[in-house]
Amino acid sequence: MSGASTGEAIRLAQLSFRYPGQAGLALDGISLSIARGEMVVVMGASGAGKTTLAKCLNRTVPAFQSGTLSGEIALLGRPLRDEGVADLAGTVGLVSQDFEAQLFATNVIQEVVFGMEQLGVPADEMKRRVPRVLEAVGLRGFAHRDPATLSGGEKQRLAIAAMLALQPHILVFDEPTTDLDPIGKLEIFQVLAAMRRQGYTLVVIEHETAAAAAADRLIVMSQGRIVADDLPQRVLSRVEFLQQHGVRPPDLSRLAARLRLTPVPRSVDEAETAVRRGLGTGDWGLARQTAPSSSAPNFTPPVLVHADDLHFYYESGAAALDGVSLTIRSGEFVALIGQNGSGKTTLAKHLNGLLHPSAGRVWLRGIDMGTLPINHVAADVGYVFQNPDHQIFAASVYDEVAFGPRNFGHSAAEVAARVRDALEAVGLTGLEQDDPFLWSKGHRQRLAVASLLTLRPRLLILDEPTTGLDFAEQLRMMDLLRRLHAQGLTLLMITHSPWVVAEYAQRGVLMSEGRLLFDGPLRALLAEEALLQQAHFRAPDITRLGRRFGFTPISVDEFVAAFHQSPAPSPQSRS
Amino acid sequence: MPLFLYIDRATFVHRLNPIVKVLGMLCFFVAAFVSQQPAVMLPVAAGIALLIGHAGALPNVRRLRVLFVVVFIMTFVIWTLFYRGGVPLLAYGPIGVSAAGLRFALGMAIKLDTFLGVGVLFLSTTKIEEFAYALTRVGMPYKLGFTMTLAFRLVPVFLDAAVTVVQAQRCRGFNFDEGTLVQRMRRYVPVIVPVFMGALRRADGMAMALEARGFQSQRSRTAFEHFPFRLTDAVALLLAVAVAVLYVVLWHLGYTAVPLR
Repeated sequence: MSGASTGEAIRLAQLSFRYPGQAGLALDGISLSIARGEMVVVMGASGAGKTTLAKCLNRTVPAFQSGTLSGEIALLGRPLRDEGVADLAGTVGLVSQDFEAQLFATNVIQEVVFGMEQLGVPADEMKRRVPRVLEAVGLRGFAHRDPATLSGGEKQRLAIAAMLALQPHILVFDEPTTDLDPIGKLEIFQVLAAMRRQGYTLVVIEHETAAAAAADRLIVMSQGRIVADDLPQRVLSRVEFLQQHGVRPPDLSRLAARLRLTPVPRSVDEAETAVRRGLGTGDWGLARQTAPSSSAPNFTPPVLVHADDLHFYYESGAAALDGVSLTIRSGEFVALIGQNGSGKTTLAKHLNGLLHPSAGRVWLRGIDMGTLPINHVAADVGYVFQNPDHQIFAASVYDEVAFGPRNFGHSAAEVAARVRDALEAVGLTGLEQDDPFLWSKGHRQRLAVASLLTLRPRLLILDEPTTGLDFAEQLRMMDLLRRLHAQGLTLLMITHSPWVVAEYAQRGVLMSEGRLLFDGPLRALLAEEALLQQAHFRAPDITRLGRRFGFTPISVDEFVAAFHQSPAPSPQSRS
Repeated sequence: MPLFLYIDRATFVHRLNPIVKVLGMLCFFVAAFVSQQPAVMLPVAAGIALLIGHAGALPNVRRLRVLFVVVFIMTFVIWTLFYRGGVPLLAYGPIGVSAAGLRFALGMAIKLDTFLGVGVLFLSTTKIEEFAYALTRVGMPYKLGFTMTLAFRLVPVFLDAAVTVVQAQRCRGFNFDEGTLVQRMRRYVPVIVPVFMGALRRADGMAMALEARGFQSQRSRTAFEHFPFRLTDAVALLLAVAVAVLYVVLWHLGYTAVPLR
């Protein structure tokens, strides 16, 4: 695996694939050459063909997916003919987003040796490789752990180790960090960086621009074609282009476009230097600190839910909640953040009575929730689970959305009215007879929201509403929530996404190890850099840049607005 | 949350050859199966309890204590009431309680808990890889053996998914506890469909992940772990077989049955 090896690792010529029954091509004549030791990041909207491309590289397509494949693939200079997936196991490794489905052994060692056993690696050699690959992914000392007891990041790293044990030269990652929390993402990025240094050829499909910045090349796909293939810095500076193709442009690229900074800063440090240089020339000046108008209402809105000193213990005796008190008032938009395992979901499930505290009480509009049946609570507090597939069961959109009001025994006319309103709210009107199982994740997520809106709750809790969505879908989801909030719905969302927190929430609640680290206005939370770091939450780049200048902007627009004589705002950038 | 029973330790039971573990489990099943008398059952149950303690599997029994208690009580009550034969001490219509019935019910309750205990002992001390190894060694094709043991591994995963789905539907006013049995079965559709679809998706993802790691490869497999058949394995297997034979003989001679009076 040394970087000295030269030549082509992957060569694609006119690669096309069509799913059965689909009019358009999933891959539309892709030609591509990737050199040995290169790290290439692939980005693009959902449905652009990224996953299909990844699966072609280890023959999962067409082995597990019927359809029409044409064109040529050569790996390490050898064209593929009728190889099966297993035949390529020592040549190319595919690590997918779903780390749960990639683990099936009783302990970490068994997981790592499984593939080697299949390929007939002698036992002595296996014993040599096991510690090496565990070391490579930072899992030394985990050899006898049950994979089910590992954190998400650890599971994904184990899946990578299991691949590395087969010594493939090429590794393909299909959204390896999408289902991970910030620590987990960081762990994977570190492993990727280490593998790059060791000379592996890496193809990484990612939504995070942070991963792309570290690559040799960045490819953007759209509708089965490659629409950009260049140095990451060049592609990432094309703000409008990225937005058009479902990729969130980095804060600093947007800032550079607004302030005409060249070159585009690659880090908050570089951005600070560039902005200070601009300040130094006298072109711009820092505007008078306008404290963001805290639109404090002159009356205190009524309390919807009040949790009082909650404690919750797992069967093992470990505390998931360790004395948490929280008050949600009507009309609030609260972000609940913290690492996985910090107690966020456990707390949220107490607020609608799904879980009962070991000690402490929850009050729903002044009534002890412990005395209310769950479906009574459900009419007031809606809860959208992280994965819409945990709730979608009906064969039509209409029946799915109607399920809730029907459970409450509403009349057919009332049900129809509620379904119509809910579908309109989420922008799915006219699709009542669609089969939701055929929809994209973004559509299914909005359907899940609609199916709770039909109960007309006062408070809606959402568990990671943007996870697994591309940027355009994330924007649509968040704009939907903003609209619902403007119409009077109280919102509490659990999320790991820094920009979602910064641009949408009004109040921030930070959790760590079953306790509240912070509860207050969002801007005040984003200024608490030490606390955020303690909870491994990174504020958006633009916010961190603003802190260097003594204020706490939540968006690029706010940052730019803080400077007078700033260049005319460009129309395409979003707030 | 740890969902699986295997406890990674190196006790005497853990170190037994997987074939001995599988056959030993069968022997204990046979011994418990042919016994009716509580007094005859007790030595088997006590032996299993000792092995569970020795193998460090008590935490698993504690985790499943509700299951053990419910099975015991349900079995005891049902067999006490519906045992036919013996002289009733109390009677109400077709339902009666007799001394023989009480003894039989106690025996059944111990028997079922013994079955459970044997299962817990086996799963606490046997990696699924060992189980697969044993199945292939007794003649099952590798892929079939592996797939079967994988199913064991997936049961808790699907139970976990079912819990989440039930919660998600309860948030939409879903109520389990109303209506007749048929109505209730129909009510479960909103739970069954998502769990089933999730299982299909998971199976699909696993199949791809398995092949990506060389499952179905044409090359001849090697094994990371070898399971030598030691003298202790031979002794343990002989003992287990002896227990099974002894109980079958006792059963054949009629010593294990509960006498009618």
